[in-house]
Amino acid sequence: MSWTFAARLEEVPPGPAHIVELAGKEIGLFCVGDEYFAVLNHCPHAGAPVCRGRVTGMVTASGPGQLSYDHSRLVLRCPWHHWEFDLRSGEALSFIRARIKTYPVRVQDDELWIDL
Amino acid sequence: MIIDCDIHQSSPTKDEWLIYLEEPYRTEVAQYGLRRIGSGIRFEEGGMRWDTRPPGGGAPGSDPTFMAEDLFDRYGHRFAVLSGNNGPIAGIPDPDYVAAICRALNDHSVAVWLPADERVRATIKIPLQDPQLAVREIDRLADHPGMVAVSFFATANRIAFGERYYWPIYEACQRHNLPLHVHPSTTAGIANAASTPAGMAQTYLESHICMPQFYMAQLVSLIINGTFEQFPGLRFMFVEGGVSWLPHLLWRMDAEYKGLRQQAPYLKRLPSDYIKDHIRLTTQPIEEPKKVQHLLQIFDMIDGDEVLMYASDYPHWDFDEPTKLPRKLGESSLRRILHDNACDFLNLPQPETAVAA
Repeated sequence: MSWTFAARLEEVPPGPAHIVELAGKEIGLFCVGDEYFAVLNHCPHAGAPVCRGRVTGMVTASGPGQLSYDHSRLVLRCPWHHWEFDLRSGEALSFIRARIKTYPVRVQDDELWIDL
Repeated sequence: MIIDCDIHQSSPTKDEWLIYLEEPYRTEVAQYGLRRIGSGIRFEEGGMRWDTRPPGGGAPGSDPTFMAEDLFDRYGHRFAVLSGNNGPIAGIPDPDYVAAICRALNDHSVAVWLPADERVRATIKIPLQDPQLAVREIDRLADHPGMVAVSFFATANRIAFGERYYWPIYEACQRHNLPLHVHPSTTAGIANAASTPAGMAQTYLESHICMPQFYMAQLVSLIINGTFEQFPGLRFMFVEGGVSWLPHLLWRMDAEYKGLRQQAPYLKRLPSDYIKDHIRLTTQPIEEPKKVQHLLQIFDMIDGDEVLMYASDYPHWDFDEPTKLPRKLGESSLRRILHDNACDFLNLPQPETAVAA
């Protein structure tokens, strides 16, 4: 556990990630609704800067012809090959082991801290 | 040192481009926009890499200066070949219109892209809808030093590559010693009546997975119909059509030819023996097996050292970095695939050898 100051909240508005360098690592900070997320800026697939991708919901289906869209799931998609990762767990959505590295975050007053 | 066989400049904005288009099409396009046919599938979900939009604005691939920084400088490109955007021409039925669009796109490449960076090379767009008009366009531009190949579509032709319909085009390519640069087109659906050999794809995912099936059928058509006996100097580069299907196809062609030779009596070699002299495949999007060893085995089966050439497909979503090729190929194979094979095949200037001190 190593809680580290990452940014002031005003530096992390909703939308594209605010990218910071901490302990030699590039980390993307996201604000979605009233939640904050911290992700290592490295895609496990081809090494792309994954935090320059987009946060979306998740297209779901209970079966063929039964499609829906789950706005409550947050998915980070890589800017290069558009791979999908769950922003909360870091896990890929495509039944593979690859995952993005996520960090616990904490809001303290008007500051965002992450556990490196 | 990299030679990249497939990069995409985006269709220029109307203001920048209409001056190259002849009447009556200039007025038509100014009024209504380009003619479009589509496959009814959502290909934008693939589309572009999201981080390739030039900082100064405009679409990905619209700014030569940004592309040079974001691609050529970053990876060490010596040359890169423009594939453009095939949507405005592939499969559109009217040959006069398509010929005019091709001339305008080619003139735009010559006026804007080739002078922008000495590493850029281009392919000549031609109207496949009328081989005579296509030959006229090849003859017009073949001697331009920036033109290194003639543009062809694997997925939007209506007529298979081995048909004599194309012979005037092949004769011109052979005469000018220009290879055909065969690229997929998003217009595949309508142009072929079906976007996969099995029928219409419902999604871009389905369509994109099936792209290599067109290349397989085109290669069989070319070889089995004797195209390379008719045109011994004719060469094709199959771009973005996959790699790992080739062993299967070569084995099957050779096996069946042995019993059915009477139906292709003009062939003077085993079907698979035509590959090295006439066909190159570009690597992107390289297949991603779970064990990299399997890819190396495939490369070995097809003599990848001689047959493969690197492509990035920048700025598209299925872009491959040069480092995507397995390191285990070894330095000599990597150098051939990343540079030497394309340098030879496209008749590009060889690198200057270092002068000994």
